[in-house]
Amino acid sequence: MRKIYIGVLFCIIVVGFMQCEQTNDTPTPQQGTIRINFKNTVKGTPLVLNTGSYTNANGQAYTVSKFKYYISNVFVTNIDKSSAESGSYHLIDQANATSQSFSFGANVEQYSHLNFTIGVDSIRNVSGAQTGALDPLNDMFWTWSTGYIMAKLEGNSPASTQVNNKLEYHIGGFSGVNSAVKKVSITLPITAQMLNVRSNKTSEIFIEADIDKWFSNNINFTTEAAIMTPGVLSKKIVDNYINMFTITQVVNN
Amino acid sequence: MKIKITISLLLFVAISILLLDGCKKTDALVYKPTYLTFTIPNGWPQPATNIFANNPLTEEGFQLGRKLFYDGKLSKDGNFPCASCHQQFAAFATFDHDFSHGFNNSFTTRNALPTFNLAWMPLLHWDGGINHIEVQPLAPLTATNEMAETLENVLTKLKNDAAYPELFRKAFGNTEINSQKMLKAIAQFMGSMVSSNSKYDKVQRGETTFTATEQNGYTFFKAKCNACHTEPLFTDNSFRNNGLVINTFINDFGRMKITNVKSDSLKFKVPTLRNVELTFPYMHDGRLYSLRDVLDHYSSNLITTQPTLDPLLANRIAMTATDKNNLVAFLRTLNDTTFTKNVRFSQP
Repeated sequence: MRKIYIGVLFCIIVVGFMQCEQTNDTPTPQQGTIRINFKNTVKGTPLVLNTGSYTNANGQAYTVSKFKYYISNVFVTNIDKSSAESGSYHLIDQANATSQSFSFGANVEQYSHLNFTIGVDSIRNVSGAQTGALDPLNDMFWTWSTGYIMAKLEGNSPASTQVNNKLEYHIGGFSGVNSAVKKVSITLPITAQMLNVRSNKTSEIFIEADIDKWFSNNINFTTEAAIMTPGVLSKKIVDNYINMFTITQVVNN
Repeated sequence: MKIKITISLLLFVAISILLLDGCKKTDALVYKPTYLTFTIPNGWPQPATNIFANNPLTEEGFQLGRKLFYDGKLSKDGNFPCASCHQQFAAFATFDHDFSHGFNNSFTTRNALPTFNLAWMPLLHWDGGINHIEVQPLAPLTATNEMAETLENVLTKLKNDAAYPELFRKAFGNTEINSQKMLKAIAQFMGSMVSSNSKYDKVQRGETTFTATEQNGYTFFKAKCNACHTEPLFTDNSFRNNGLVINTFINDFGRMKITNVKSDSLKFKVPTLRNVELTFPYMHDGRLYSLRDVLDHYSSNLITTQPTLDPLLANRIAMTATDKNNLVAFLRTLNDTTFTKNVRFSQP
C-alpha cells in the first residue's frame, strides 16, 4: 500500500515540475539578427554638430546643432517573405551615438528590401503617455497640440532672418494631407548582395541619411528658416527628406 | 484504512499545490493594487473612448495622482501645483480670475477650464489641441507662464523625494519613476472626477423637483441652449464661434491654431455648464463676469459679422428679462456641492 502512495506522490511531483516548463508545440523558424546602422551626412561627409559648415543648393551657408528623427515599424521583405521588428520605435539622434544603431531578430531568409516609417504612426499619437523612444522627455513631443515631432533639425544660417539667424525645423503632424508619417521602402543596393540572415548570426545594413536632401527643391533659408507647425511648408520638407536615405553597405555574416 | 488513504491523498495534493506555487516568481514586495471601477452615471452616454483602457484604475494610482495634482514640486519654483489654477471650490477652475497666475508673476492667456467629466471629452483645452487626458499635464507643466518646469526636473525632484518611490511602487509595481507613470497617475485622479449630483440630476432621478422659476428656465434652456450645451454633459464637445469681439491684446484665433483651417478661426470649445455658477468669469478669456453678462451677450451683445459665427447665433437668442431670471435660476441647479466638497478630490 505504501508503495502505491509513494508512486502516486512521485507522479504528482513529476507532473508538478512539468507544469513549470514552458511548452511550445509550434516550431519557431530559425532566427538570426539584423543590425541597422545609421550615419548622418551632408553630401557624403559625416555630419558634425555645431562646427561643421555646409551650404544648401541656394548657396546659403548653415550649421546644424540638433538633428534627430524617428524610425519605426521596421521590417525586411523579399517577394512573399517578411520579418518585422516588434515594438519598433527608434529615435535616431546625432548627439547620441548609441541611438544610431539597433538590432532585431529576423527569420533566416534572404531579403531584398528594407522598409520603415519615418515618424510615429497615428495610433501612438492619440494613445496617451508613452515611454522608451516615445517618452516626451526626448523633446520630440508637442505639448500645445498633441503629437510627435517626427523629425527635428536645428541650426543657424547667416541667410536666416529669424532671431539669432536660427534655422528651426520641427516637422510633425499625423493626419490629413500634410501628415508627416511616411513609409519608406529601400531596395538593397546590389541584388547579388541581398541581406542574408543566417541562424544565430548578425547581418548588418548601413544607411546614410543626407541632410542636404532636406533642402532640395529650392528651400530658401531667408524665407523658410522656421517651421514649427504641420502645414504646406512642413509637407514640403517631408517630401524632401523621405529621399535622404541610401543604403551604402550590406554585410552578411 | 480508507480514512488513511484519503488523508494521504489530501497530503499529496497539498504538496503538489505547493510545488506548483513554487513555479511562480515571488517578488520581495507584493504588488497588489486595489482595482477600482469607473461608474457611468445612470442615463449618461458611454464615453467615446475608455480613458482607463490602458491605464487600469486603482486606489493606489488615484492617490498618487491626487498627491501629484496638489504638489508644488511639479512647478519650477514650487508655488504652482495643478491645484493653483484648478481649485476644487471653483469646480476645478480658477475662482474669480479671468486669467490664472503662473510662474514669475505671469498671466495665462486663457481662462482656466474646470476639470471634471473629462472621461467624456475627446479633445481637451479651449482649442482642442490635446487629444488624450494622459498627455494634458505636459502643457501647463512646461508653459513658461504656468508651471514653467521641465519634465526632466520634475522627474528628478520626484525621484529624490522620500515618499514618491514607494507610492509609485504601490501604484505601478516598482519604484522606478518615469514620465509615463506620472502622467498615468494624474490621469487616474483627474479622469475620476465626475460631477453628476446637482439638483438638476436629483430632479432627473425623481428625488426632488424644480421650483416654478427653475422649471421655466429649464424649458427655455431645452428650446434655445441645448443644441450646443447638450444634456446630460451640457456640452456637445464641439468648437464654435459665439460672436465675441477679438481681444487685440491676445489675438487668440482658437481652434484654427491647431487645425490650420480658416473655417476654424475664432472657434472655441463649447464648455460644460455643470457647476457654471462656480466657474466665473466666462468665455475663453474670462471677459464676462456674471451669468447675466453671458445671457446679455447671447441676447444683445454678440457680433454677427464674423464669417465663422455659429449659424445658430445668426439672429442672437431672443430673451426677455423674465427668461433671463428663469435661466439663471435653472443654471444654478447645475451646482454640485457633493463634487466640490468631495474629500476624495481634496488636498491630501
